[in-house]
Amino acid sequence: MAYREKLAWLELIGMVIAYGGYFIAVGIVDPAPGRLETLTYVALFGAATMVRLLILGTGWLTLKLQMGSDARAKPDERDRSIARRGASIGYYVLLGLMLWVGVMLPLTDTGWAVANSALAAIIIAEIVRDAVIVASYRRGWHG
Amino acid sequence: MANPPISNQIRTLRFLAGEMTQADLGDRVGVTRQTIAAIEQGKYSPTLETAFRIARAFDKPLEEVFNWEGE
Repeated sequence: MAYREKLAWLELIGMVIAYGGYFIAVGIVDPAPGRLETLTYVALFGAATMVRLLILGTGWLTLKLQMGSDARAKPDERDRSIARRGASIGYYVLLGLMLWVGVMLPLTDTGWAVANSALAAIIIAEIVRDAVIVASYRRGWHG
Repeated sequence: MANPPISNQIRTLRFLAGEMTQADLGDRVGVTRQTIAAIEQGKYSPTLETAFRIARAFDKPLEEVFNWEGE
């Protein structure tokens, strides 16, 4: 498996575990969206971000040590082409979801409900981007 | 994703070049070992520039390395 495919897997797993955990936690402690203390949201979000950084840092270091010269190689035309494809599709997902958040905005009376919706949009778009990159390495890409 | 209607002789040419490794070819061409592997497996179509560089690495014309299989 290519080094950059492993990196994409790492980012995908880190994103799903950390922010999936965040939204599960918010769903459990905050059944009525946006009613918790700001500090609680910040603490949960901070914890999720720390988990993500821990997963990425540990995984990145392990890959660097395991893959040696492969990890030192600069991205080539295939890597760049696949990254562009992932970013392009992720962008349209983000655009669509942010439009949905914008439409929802006037119907919401708490800032955190909107903030969490926007955060979910960013995370879903990032997950789609990573998934497209992984799929392009796995199944091939002829762009 | 369906493979493109292009086949290539890179594996054979590497063998004929004294079992040149994918990494060696990648170094000559300026791509990673994994990209050479993906091209050989038909999982990636290289740019025209890289296709010419691969052909030049074997001292062959482009059409002896890559073949159009479509109609």
